[in-house]
Amino acid sequence: MVLSLNLQMHTFILAGGFATRLWPLTEKRAKPLLPVAGKPLVSHLVEQIPEDIPITVSTNAALKEGFEQWKDVMNRPNLTIIIEDTKSDDHKLGALGATAQWLEQEAIDEDVLLLTGDNYCGFSIPEFIRSASTGAPLLAVHDLGDLGKASAFGTVITDTNNPKSVIGFEEKPKEPKTSLVSTGCSLLPKETLSVVKEYAKEHPDNVGGIFEEFLRRSIPVECYTFSEPWFDIGSFDAYLEASRALIGENIALDTGTTFENNTCEGSVIIGKGSTVRNSELRNVIIFENTTIDDCILENCIIDNSCILEGIELNGKMLREGTHLAQHRNK
Amino acid sequence: MQRYRTLLNLWLLSDLALFVGAYMAAYLCRVGWILSTDFPLDKHITVAAIIAPLWLIVLITTRTFSLTRNQATLHNAAYIIYAAVMGTALFTLTYYFLYGAFFSRLLLVYAMVFTILFTIVWHVLFEKILRSALRKDPAVFRALIIGVTRESKRLIQTLNDTKNPITPVAILDGRGTKEKEIAGVPVKGKLNKLEDVLQEDKITHLIQCSDLEQSLNLLGACRKQGITYMLLPSVLGIVERDERVESLEGQPVTMVAPKEGWWTWFFR
Repeated sequence: MVLSLNLQMHTFILAGGFATRLWPLTEKRAKPLLPVAGKPLVSHLVEQIPEDIPITVSTNAALKEGFEQWKDVMNRPNLTIIIEDTKSDDHKLGALGATAQWLEQEAIDEDVLLLTGDNYCGFSIPEFIRSASTGAPLLAVHDLGDLGKASAFGTVITDTNNPKSVIGFEEKPKEPKTSLVSTGCSLLPKETLSVVKEYAKEHPDNVGGIFEEFLRRSIPVECYTFSEPWFDIGSFDAYLEASRALIGENIALDTGTTFENNTCEGSVIIGKGSTVRNSELRNVIIFENTTIDDCILENCIIDNSCILEGIELNGKMLREGTHLAQHRNK
Repeated sequence: MQRYRTLLNLWLLSDLALFVGAYMAAYLCRVGWILSTDFPLDKHITVAAIIAPLWLIVLITTRTFSLTRNQATLHNAAYIIYAAVMGTALFTLTYYFLYGAFFSRLLLVYAMVFTILFTIVWHVLFEKILRSALRKDPAVFRALIIGVTRESKRLIQTLNDTKNPITPVAILDGRGTKEKEIAGVPVKGKLNKLEDVLQEDKITHLIQCSDLEQSLNLLGACRKQGITYMLLPSVLGIVERDERVESLEGQPVTMVAPKEGWWTWFFR
């Protein structure tokens, strides 16, 4: 954990999404609690936040239990979990709506480090905070280094004379002018919070839109450009890619695993208490307490407590508790 | 489910009575209302009563009483005819073995024809009663439809129009359709609501009409909760309704073969 920065600041982590694109992995757990390189995605963020900065994680009632358990494991005194009053995808408050509600309810009057819990940011968050100028909102932007790839994201246009100064945004442009893309990490100075609350009333879902609003109101927006790894874990492919990038061409075994007589390629992650025998694995993530025997798995994510025997799978996410056994011809 | 079991038992019992009734009618038509002493009715009815359960077993083995079987089809009629022929043959043999006598061949023809006609008419009628009773709220067989597609819309409409005992009660769509309902069946959201819908709506059947990539997970959920899983061939891209399920050395396979003459049906 990073030591104190002596700042009047509060971190707010958005973790209330239902992540339906990652079903069934997100059936019983929030996306920020998905394991990435051996620990929950949100832990990668929290561990980087200086210890004197209080953290509030906003989630919804359906995902509350998982976050409470995660909080106990994190053992950080100034970590709070707040529950949005929503139980389903249809009644979401919206990311910015949830932020504004928290600002109102807690009467926040200090700078806010706003993070989206499903982003993995490889850069140093303390360094990001230190780079902020007084009174100017700061947005972390990732340089993809490839204009083609940038067209799938919201791009950030900077001043050619002052690369730190943001002059515009484009949402998923067909022909991007830049390879800088907006990420889920930003710093909102306390002077701008009233704008956030006001804007959220009309656009409760549009977190990115608040920076355009700042520019519209002639509030200078700055960016912190980084080229370290960054992943928005929004889909099955993105999740596998993030794991591949962080683990590399390696086998990561958690505690209490049994791993015998297997052939592996790419990145293979085996969770706590799982057993894998006589199998061929290629880019596979296996969660906890799962048993795999005599299987061929490629680009697969297998949830907790599954039992697979004699199965060949490619590009599948398997639901918790799945039992699949190949019965030979009767 | 109790409602279904009661109705099914009623159906089976009524079929037994129908078989005996058909033989009684044949007797009366052939022998006449004045009962014959040469060919007593009591012997005739005794044998019909002995054969009725055997005939019913033959009929059961043709899956005529299956929930998914449509009674008013040629296919089903063929099975009923087959069972009636078997019933007549068994009746003839049993009568001979018990009483050492043969009798009017025309009576046998009457008995067979009456069995066929009575059974078909009764089955078509009973199917209507059964469907209406099983659909009565709360429906006994409650289906969850996965996927909002043209095919699934057609299926829901057909199930409702024909009052099929498998009643669609909820829809989930992996891609998050904006439609709120299809033919009166509510769209309850995306697949993340699967567990809730399976329990709250007391689902007995799940029909997958899309989201092929989730078939393993849907099947897993069904197995765990004792729900019958069905897959539309269109999910696999088979849309021309020319597929059939066959066995290849004991391994079930879905087969789509080139179109040939109708006579090849017997050999393929």
